[in-house]
Amino acid sequence: MKTRRAWRDTAVGILLLAVMLFPLYWIVNVSLQRGASAAGTDWFPTDPDLSGYRTALREQGGHLVTSLLIGVGSALFSVLVAAPAAYVLAQFRSRWITAVLFAVLISQMVPGIVVANALYTAYEDLGLLDSVPGLILADSTAGIPFAILVIRAFMMGLPRAVVEAARIDGAGHFRTFVSVVLPMSVNAVVTAALFAFLFAWGDFLFALTLTTTGQVHPVTLGLYQYIGSYVADWSTVMATAVLSSIPAVLLLAVAQRYVAAGATAGAVK
Amino acid sequence: MRSTSHGWCRAAVAGLVGILALTGCGDDTGSDGPVRSLTVQTFTGSPSDDAVYDTVLNGCGTQTGVKVVRQKVPTDGYVAKVLQQASAKTLPDALMLDNGDVQQLASAGALAPVRDLGLSTDGFAEGTVEAATYEGEAYALQPVANTIALFYNEDVLAQAGVSPPKTWDELKAAAKALTSGKRYGLAFSAVATVEGTWQFLPFMWSNGGDETNITSPQAAGALALWADMVRDGSVSKSVVNWTQADVNDQFKAGNAAMMINGPWQYPVLNQVSGLKYKVVPVPVPKTGVAAVTPMGGETWSIPNTGDRARMEAAAKLVGCVNSDANQIALASQRQLVPTRASALEEFIEQQPTMAAFAEQVQGSRARTAKLGPKWPEVEKQLYTAIQAALVGGVSPQKALEQAANG
Amino acid sequence: MAEPTPVVAVRGGGQGNSARRRARAAQVLFLAPAVVYIVLFFGYPAVKNMTMSVQDYTTRAFITGEAPWIGLDNYADVVSSSIFSKAVLNTVLFTAGSIVGQFVIGMLLALFFRRRFPLNAVMRSLLLLPWLVPLIVSGTVWRWILDQDGGVLNQTLRGLGLVEANPGWLTSPSLALVAVVVVNIWIGIPFNTTILYGGLQEIPKEVHEAAALDGAGRWREFWAITWPLLRPVVTVALVLGVVYTLKVIDIILALTDGGPANASQTIATQSYQLSFQQFQFGQGAALSNLLIVVSLVFAGIYLWLNRRAVDE
Repeated sequence: MKTRRAWRDTAVGILLLAVMLFPLYWIVNVSLQRGASAAGTDWFPTDPDLSGYRTALREQGGHLVTSLLIGVGSALFSVLVAAPAAYVLAQFRSRWITAVLFAVLISQMVPGIVVANALYTAYEDLGLLDSVPGLILADSTAGIPFAILVIRAFMMGLPRAVVEAARIDGAGHFRTFVSVVLPMSVNAVVTAALFAFLFAWGDFLFALTLTTTGQVHPVTLGLYQYIGSYVADWSTVMATAVLSSIPAVLLLAVAQRYVAAGATAGAVK
Repeated sequence: MRSTSHGWCRAAVAGLVGILALTGCGDDTGSDGPVRSLTVQTFTGSPSDDAVYDTVLNGCGTQTGVKVVRQKVPTDGYVAKVLQQASAKTLPDALMLDNGDVQQLASAGALAPVRDLGLSTDGFAEGTVEAATYEGEAYALQPVANTIALFYNEDVLAQAGVSPPKTWDELKAAAKALTSGKRYGLAFSAVATVEGTWQFLPFMWSNGGDETNITSPQAAGALALWADMVRDGSVSKSVVNWTQADVNDQFKAGNAAMMINGPWQYPVLNQVSGLKYKVVPVPVPKTGVAAVTPMGGETWSIPNTGDRARMEAAAKLVGCVNSDANQIALASQRQLVPTRASALEEFIEQQPTMAAFAEQVQGSRARTAKLGPKWPEVEKQLYTAIQAALVGGVSPQKALEQAANG
Repeated sequence: MAEPTPVVAVRGGGQGNSARRRARAAQVLFLAPAVVYIVLFFGYPAVKNMTMSVQDYTTRAFITGEAPWIGLDNYADVVSSSIFSKAVLNTVLFTAGSIVGQFVIGMLLALFFRRRFPLNAVMRSLLLLPWLVPLIVSGTVWRWILDQDGGVLNQTLRGLGLVEANPGWLTSPSLALVAVVVVNIWIGIPFNTTILYGGLQEIPKEVHEAAALDGAGRWREFWAITWPLLRPVVTVALVLGVVYTLKVIDIILALTDGGPANASQTIATQSYQLSFQQFQFGQGAALSNLLIVVSLVFAGIYLWLNRRAVDE
């Protein structure tokens, strides 16, 4: 009986997924049809044409590397900053810790465009425009607060006994954190890093505002420039979108089991 | 179980920062001595567009003895970027601007009058000079211009026995006759951005309407033309969501027999095998009335950087870009029209397909001529009114009044 | 498992004051990078935004650096504009619709994926794909799908016989907001499903088995047992969801630019347009500050709910 019901569930799942992912199918569909547009695109690419991908790779290939650098950098930076803070916010309690938590929450409410504009002048003075580190720092505005909240929620459920045992053994706070707490929190940290990567990968606001010369050119910017007042070839645009999604998809597949295993473990308790 | 990834992470980030700090850009800022290089900022165009400008800019650089360093910024958010640069005092030496933005920036004090730097606007089409003039002074030179006109599908019109319309009545009749099945008679852009207002202007202006008073009966009459065509089914309701690029796609696919669009679509249209199209001026309210179309195109200005030597060098560069020869080069490869009367004749000889547009451009009108920096507000009122009248069920007169009072 | 109640610092050693001081120092060190980052990257822009909202900030201010102080005039101007009430209503509808849709569908999907069946894990990963696509591209594709005449959605609906004429999803003032909400729900489902699924995974199997043994039906089991245990996760998903949704502009601008005729204009999009199309930066800043205040109210609710949940 399990088998029949299980396969029925799979069928339902496939149907749901088909509906949810239809727009993505359409993106791939358009990328394979030269001359496709809103006015005339076949439902199925009966005559697939890879010229869109060729153009996309030629023009945007290098930009994918830039985006990758920024994404990975932002993920690393975000968890580096967020994990220790999350630990304190989760395991300790005082008035000013609550204040910091509140500040983290408020930071989520500031519209990105407000941040981007304010950063421009500051970056200009500091010489951070058109730089990968500059974009890493800026993109982490999405990653760090979110990472703090997620990792904190997890760490709140860590068994106190284990932590205390390490402290009684004479371990300093830092060692306790690194040797005991972090390994137990791998799931949450990886989840936070993944989300931070995705935020940075898809960012376009900071890429647009904080670069001027095109030296540093993430792939989202490339996409944006294609969609101007005369789009000659939509298949290239969509091919770029597909290409720019692939690294993210790969990363997702790899990190997926950490995400499922309990990004919010402990929050339930 | 000490985790080693922690230490490794730190080292990696530090290394990254270090490497990138070393390769950080250091440009010359020395303002003593002759000016060796100038920064020039333009829109990001298509790769072929960019190549044309690169040639012209480098050529002018060689001619005036400077190295040209070119920065490209996407059109969307261009002005925001310019403002940011202004506040950080990092404006480029020569700045390309859409002609509708010049007065806005001139009024803010960002640009230097071209006359002070030895450039003259004599011989340029009047519309371009008006667009770039704020309180009596010109702040930019415009080498090339474009405008919009009526494209029609030759085969479709021939089959239906319809001749290209010249007046509004003919337009309505033609659009109605040409609507059949999936195909609409006419397509234009009525989207909630500057493009929607831009496409409406020829109709409003040719009817005697004016942006200083959008509630006039003339303006309402123009809007009524559009609303009527949507109501009787000759124009799709989707026009309120179509950009000019979308309109072009519809025309390409045969979903629209006629469209209002500009010459920048020529390369895209010419790629479609089997599509035969022609261009005629935008229809006018009655025979004998002159069509007044909006003037488009990019201008070249010199920002107030405070460094007199650089500004003068930039002015020379801008002057070179606006020379007859360069105007023809820029125009012929990018489907635009030179703005200097002296360059026009030679241009039309070389590019007969642009003759219709060349004629229109000479009579085009600048959007910011009368309202200057106050134009964006009225621009928004217009496209809001247009949308309310086309799909919001509001009468054109009422729609304009509501928008004007908002 | 262990109690979740946070512990107040110092244990072990028994050195009393100096240990407490060291603990304090460690806390400060751990928190410092995050606090510095937040102050620099959020505090500074927020303060700048607030100052801009009480100044007459136009393009001139960017050049000269001067912006005369005009008190609350900007706020008065934006609140009294005819678009304001419409934008507020649209914001409420957009946020409520998006959150309800994303959450309910996310929850149903999370519950569904809790069952064991072949390809479960693969499908869960694939579900995250909509989130990976750049918004510009999603917006464009959805614009095509929703096109009144040629769009795939209308073709399907007509083909299935569900509608007579082609609904103008993006062109009809009455439907535009609905369309934008639907697309926003589509974008938000992956996030909600993931968070809620993670939360569901944490509920021990024994709890479910006990309920099954007691003969509780699936519906009762959900409301009486699962839901209360899920409350902290739900709170995170809902509050973060509201805060993020209030800020949304990209997808609305990509689909309709706030049109037709302001039918899909929200406070966020209006703030953006005021600043970057009308160059009225002071007014745009005032509007975005109003938005932040609304978010603050929700954050307050979160902290209050959170404190209660922890105390239980």
